[in-house]
Amino acid sequence: VSEREPMPGLTLDCAAVDELIGALTLGALESHEARAVSAHLATCLQPHDELWELVGANTALAASIEPVEPSPALRRRLMETLAVVPQEVATAAPARPATQSVPRTPAAGATPSVSAWWRSLFDPRSATFARGLAAVAVAGVIVLGAVNLSLRGSLDDRQAALNRVAGAIAAGGPAFAVTAQKAGAGSGYVINGEGQPLLVAAVPPTPTGRIYEMWLLDAAGKPVSAGTFTAKDQIVVVPLEGQLAGYTTFAITVEERRVDAPTTDPIIAGAIGT
Amino acid sequence: VQITGRSHEVDAALAVRIRSGDREALGELYDRYAAVALGVALRVVRDRDAAEDVVHDAFVAVWQKITRFDAEQGQLRSWLLTIVRNRAIDRVRGTRVAEDIDALDELGALRSTANPTWEAAIANLSLATLRDALGLLPGEQREAIELAYFGGHTYREVAALTGVPPGTAAGRLRLALAKLRQLLLGTDAGPASIPPSPEPTSGGGSP
Repeated sequence: VSEREPMPGLTLDCAAVDELIGALTLGALESHEARAVSAHLATCLQPHDELWELVGANTALAASIEPVEPSPALRRRLMETLAVVPQEVATAAPARPATQSVPRTPAAGATPSVSAWWRSLFDPRSATFARGLAAVAVAGVIVLGAVNLSLRGSLDDRQAALNRVAGAIAAGGPAFAVTAQKAGAGSGYVINGEGQPLLVAAVPPTPTGRIYEMWLLDAAGKPVSAGTFTAKDQIVVVPLEGQLAGYTTFAITVEERRVDAPTTDPIIAGAIGT
Repeated sequence: VQITGRSHEVDAALAVRIRSGDREALGELYDRYAAVALGVALRVVRDRDAAEDVVHDAFVAVWQKITRFDAEQGQLRSWLLTIVRNRAIDRVRGTRVAEDIDALDELGALRSTANPTWEAAIANLSLATLRDALGLLPGEQREAIELAYFGGHTYREVAALTGVPPGTAAGRLRLALAKLRQLLLGTDAGPASIPPSPEPTSGGGSP
């Protein structure tokens, strides 16, 4: 840690980040240092295990404080406030307007079960489409951070997943952000690296009796299955069946079994190419 | 004050109901954690009325911003207490400090991330045991934690206040948390190195 005030735009190496782990855990970093730590973790392949060990210590500190019963008036006051204070509208989930504009290019190859959501994907005016494209530029940097920050399996699992992702990145292929289409559905990246494309995603555990099925869609909206997987942990690294060439969109649906065409709306989707 | 697996499930269910606009669910959350929240707020602001204002505002913030809470990334209780702590520090210092839910970035999420190890420890240990563990820290480490967590000072400010270089202050915070982990989680030798206290509400080594 530098003894003098660091400049904004600071970059930190692993040792410097480790020195700041206590302050990070307690929320006691200067804001520009917090940004620098975040930037480091977003690209660092080192596990920074001590960080994971100490995260949560702040909860222990809060738990060490003797509870104090509030006055009865406080609850009444709170409930009165809630009656007049509106909740924020969700921004993480796609805000699909109820009055969806008519798609310019209806999905010619879509099956009857494919809903308006699928068609909207191919409307360049739709939010879904725009978000996918906008995220592509930064995906290559963020993808490693997503793994490093969120993957909490065993060290071997993490290393294997990281090796696989690192290999795909090293192969120089682009990475495409794929994002939640429903609240809490998770998000991830499709990396077009060496060999098979990879899906790296944070997803909820697969519902009992269901599987996740991946889809590649061409410009006409015709979906082709790219394989299935189930998830127990938050992060999955899954090779896709087939190559991305010729497809414009990636999507994941929840299905009872592997099917030839999606029977439900996607939980995650995004644009994957030109 | 305990976090158990079931408690986590109850909180997750409450979060879903709050997200759907159920005010009674927020009331239930209040009934569960208002006393803990007020304890934390009072520790920071040291004024009963101001502390109740902080708790009120924190629960309103949970109500307003519940869509930003991700039950898979953290516990509602931890999120609430992070808000309480930050709002309380805002109140004391008169400025907005550490990133709150208004700027929930990776680090903010990280701090409220569910950590099964710590949660299990907190669930199994009494208030007094937690305090005893704090009391076993070297004085300068305890002081650094007090200033940083409850005083809302950055480690550089902690350094200035205690007359040491910033690197020393950062090191004290790191060592203090590592020591707490060792005491509470027993990193080297199985279970916690200090036995649970028989009396959950008795005073301990209060710093």
